[in-house]
Amino acid sequence: MKFKTFAVFVGPSVLMMLLFIAFPLVSVFLQSFQVTQPVYETVEVETCTPGFLEQTCVTEMSSVPKLDEHGEIITTTTFVGLQSYRNVLEPDRAWAAIKAFDWRGLQTIDFWKALRFTLTFTFITLPLVIGTGLAIALAINNAARSVKGPVIFVSLLPFIITPVIGALSINWLFRGDGILTAWLERMLDRDIALFAQAWTIEVLMMIYRVWHVAPFAAIVFYAALQTVNHDSLESALIDGATRWQRLKYIVIPHLMPLIVFVSMIHLMDTYRAFEEIVGFSSQGYVISLQWLTYDFLVPDQAGNRSVSRASASAMLTMIGIAIILVPLLKRTWRDHRRSH
Amino acid sequence: MQAVHRQPLSLKLLSSGFLFFWCIVAAFPIVWITVMSFKSPVDAFDASALNVIFGPQTLADGKGISLLDILAYLGVAIWMGRSIKRTLPGMVMTFADKSGPVWLGWIIGASITGLVVLVVFFALLPTVLGFLNPLVGPLGRDIWGFTTEHYTTVWIDRAFYRNFQNSMIVTAGVVTVSLTVGTLAGYGLARSGSVLAFGILIIALVFRALPPSVLVAGYLPVFINSAELLRPFLGDAAPTLYGKPYAVIAVLVAMNQPFTIWMLRSFFQNIPAELDEAARVDGCNHFQAFRRVIMPVMWPGVITTGLFSFLLAYNDFLVTSLLLDAQNQTMVPAIAGMFNRETTTTDQVVAVAAAVSITAPLIILVMVFQRQIVSGLTAGAVKG
Amino acid sequence: MKLKTLALAGAMSLMSSVAFAECAFENTVPLKSLSAGFEAWKAVTDAMAECGNFEASLDQEFREKQPEAFAANPSLYHIGGVANSTIIPLLNAGSIRPLDDLVEKYGANLTPNQLIKIDGKIMAIAMMVNTQHLMYREDILNDLGIAVPTTYAEVLDAAAKIKEAGVVEYPIGGTFKTGWNLGEEFINNFLGEGGEFFTDGNMPNINNEKGVASLEVMKALTEYMDPEYLVSDSTYVQQQFQQGKIAMSNLWASRAAAMDDEAESQVVGKVVMAAAPMGSAAPATSLWWDGLVFATNMTDEEADAAFRVAMEGIDEEMVKANNDAAVWLVPGYAPGRLAVGAAATAAAGARPYPGSGPMGIMHTVLGNGISDYLTGAKDAATTLADIEAAYVTAAKEAGLVK
Repeated sequence: MKFKTFAVFVGPSVLMMLLFIAFPLVSVFLQSFQVTQPVYETVEVETCTPGFLEQTCVTEMSSVPKLDEHGEIITTTTFVGLQSYRNVLEPDRAWAAIKAFDWRGLQTIDFWKALRFTLTFTFITLPLVIGTGLAIALAINNAARSVKGPVIFVSLLPFIITPVIGALSINWLFRGDGILTAWLERMLDRDIALFAQAWTIEVLMMIYRVWHVAPFAAIVFYAALQTVNHDSLESALIDGATRWQRLKYIVIPHLMPLIVFVSMIHLMDTYRAFEEIVGFSSQGYVISLQWLTYDFLVPDQAGNRSVSRASASAMLTMIGIAIILVPLLKRTWRDHRRSH
Repeated sequence: MQAVHRQPLSLKLLSSGFLFFWCIVAAFPIVWITVMSFKSPVDAFDASALNVIFGPQTLADGKGISLLDILAYLGVAIWMGRSIKRTLPGMVMTFADKSGPVWLGWIIGASITGLVVLVVFFALLPTVLGFLNPLVGPLGRDIWGFTTEHYTTVWIDRAFYRNFQNSMIVTAGVVTVSLTVGTLAGYGLARSGSVLAFGILIIALVFRALPPSVLVAGYLPVFINSAELLRPFLGDAAPTLYGKPYAVIAVLVAMNQPFTIWMLRSFFQNIPAELDEAARVDGCNHFQAFRRVIMPVMWPGVITTGLFSFLLAYNDFLVTSLLLDAQNQTMVPAIAGMFNRETTTTDQVVAVAAAVSITAPLIILVMVFQRQIVSGLTAGAVKG
Repeated sequence: MKLKTLALAGAMSLMSSVAFAECAFENTVPLKSLSAGFEAWKAVTDAMAECGNFEASLDQEFREKQPEAFAANPSLYHIGGVANSTIIPLLNAGSIRPLDDLVEKYGANLTPNQLIKIDGKIMAIAMMVNTQHLMYREDILNDLGIAVPTTYAEVLDAAAKIKEAGVVEYPIGGTFKTGWNLGEEFINNFLGEGGEFFTDGNMPNINNEKGVASLEVMKALTEYMDPEYLVSDSTYVQQQFQQGKIAMSNLWASRAAAMDDEAESQVVGKVVMAAAPMGSAAPATSLWWDGLVFATNMTDEEADAAFRVAMEGIDEEMVKANNDAAVWLVPGYAPGRLAVGAAATAAAGARPYPGSGPMGIMHTVLGNGISDYLTGAKDAATTLADIEAAYVTAAKEAGLVK
């Protein structure tokens, strides 16, 4: 394909990605090395606010940003090097905690706390999603033809449901004396508060994630099971291979590329876990990396936001994802070379 | 598969038992919030499952349905479902033969069906049953707490249909643009072996992995001030992009591009390159080859990819909540707003009803396209 | 299910269009507002909409959108809804206008209490106040012969007795959800101890005995709360009250009406309002106001129309129709049994929420940091020191601390 033709085919897509992803990304990258802040002056201000019947007035010194002649806030931008990264990573405290083998100390620093959760969350849910997905796919494949349609339909429900709503419904089911908590309490005959300690919340979040993503894995695997080579299954049968051997030596290798594909999608999505934290309001116990970025970015009531730290934290998240993606990149490169 | 027939009973039981268990787990939360949405607030948040299901308080408030109601509604629903399945495709085909394209036939058919269903279930049946119930004695007495008032509140008082309309505009826009742009790019990438093509794919992969909240916050000031920023180029026609559905569509399309082009690329790779090469030998250029040879065979993959775009656009919260204002808000942020307001318990059940309403179109979508998803995936749209 | 409901709904929507006539004038200038979405704002913006040509955005992202949208020229919204703290970014950027002339022209019905003055200039019109104060189950306290608690020590005492008597499992409810709610609880207690959050140069000043005392009170309260307190927000506490699961709480005045809502509450008439518990210096609570601001970047004609429409939104008629939705500052409000708590709290000298730039940061770091102390991950001094450190980092980045 000539470059010009290629450019015409690919151009619109690349342009959109440049405009809405690459461009903001560059600005995030730059902002992580600089700090932009208003120039404040301290002035005495009298503020009168209502009470129930009469006003209270207070006079105090307060910091007010200076405005230029157009009425815009004057800001200064300074290059701070890696300072924002240091603010996020808190390397001194972290290093001190590591040297002292103080795990709890390390876990009181937001970034490391978030990293710990994100990694556990990612790598515990991964085998669960693949395993559950594979099990569902095999079970559907094994089911009678007449029920396949409805079963696939029901299986897809958790995948298509709006994430915000999925997380909320889990909330209703488990929070306080939610219906499932009440049921668990009756089963185990003891008082249960699932949102009262970190580990139960983490387990709930993982269950939710597996519930939400396993159908995607299942449907991909199921589709691939339809293309398993029947001849090799037949000949394996003639050779006297057991069911387990056939699964292990023929079906799984056939599915391998897709297992890698699903794993990678899952790793990418889970590493930026965010909805669970908000949906389960778990900030008091566990936080994730993307939640940390988001928290820096959301303005507080007085309109301050920590753009530089947010940018630094976002770049750190990206580096993490890039490391996780290396195996996939290698494989893609091999395929790319091979197919042309 | 032949092997299936020779499975031992224990394996079969295990397999179907697991599947049964999974189906319950998969469907339970959705079924449960649906049940909640038809109850009065006290019942909906009751700690006892039976109270939630049967709704004694709802019944005590005089909102319930009788055995006759249940039978009538179920009967009519089944009968209508069957007759629609039997007659609708035929009617559409007749229409298509005589006076227009098939898709138009389906749209007209579907809207007429929808209208009939609405009239029968919300006007005809209630009137008839309101007349019959007092006449049939115990059969006509309310036995099951059930109320649709929360749906009335959502759709009529809170004007949720406007949010629905906005969601439809955004979703339709995203799917159309995303597929158009993505199909071209996917084809180009699949047929080019250059390092550039590989580079684009890798960068797209990194983009796919980006945490979206980082990007989105950067859009807000630019979108709000776009009129000022663009005035030097566009003069007074410069638009304020904030609150414009088309701007949101553009953002969502861009964010969805990485996944779309990866998926479509692997799909096109599975269409033998010999096909379009043969067409080019016959004197077509790349675009003609694409149109004549590839387009007819690409639909399974495009539909599957389109479904993923649909889900992304329809379910999006981050972008739509930030870049649209109340006048053109879509459903998801509207519902999140309902939950986060200082709510009463009644408001919460209303929000649950809204949550069920937003899920319904998704369910219909999956019902209609289920076969295409599987066949699209089987055809190789996801070879990794 | 019934046709009647549909007919009723139709009639309701007709009524709202008839209500068009209730506005004193017909507005011809297209106007838009952006505010939070709670009940009182809905009442006010609905009343404004009666004048025509008015679109309200009740948006939960308003905090993020307001500064940008009002800074645009022309401003994307004409009227804004703000509170103690959310007015700060608008004031700082100069994107809201002084209202003295408009108040003189159209504000005859406003009371002096409603006029928010910054350096003598009227910058906002308050419509309601809100504060957290004690709500308790009168029946339970009477049965056990407990006097109405006036301090947290007495609250804890009462809770112990109630628990011992086995009336309810968790006597106390609290809005301790991590984030804004939890930060607010600390701020209430710290104000009650008479604390000052900052020293010169916006440096933090919470790591002291007052801060420790505040934390200890909070921890002591959690002993009597549902163990899931870190996810419980106002709506959750309100529901616990309604379902008879708790006996006392320092809850928002705006939630009082829900206690007597017959459709939801099982404790109608049993919950009584009282002043917020006293700290060692002041009531352990803060006074909030909500009010209206008007954009700088609009024409004077628009400003005139916007102000007149806003006055229609907070008139007597609206208050009479929504008397219990809030503690209104608007003439015509009839403070009933439910407003007693807010009035008593204000009379006892509750301090206003000290909204300011540094306070915004402080509130956020408090909300994120305190859970570590409550879960036992850190002791009080370490928690406060870490919060101060987090504050300094954020304030330096914002340019508030050198």
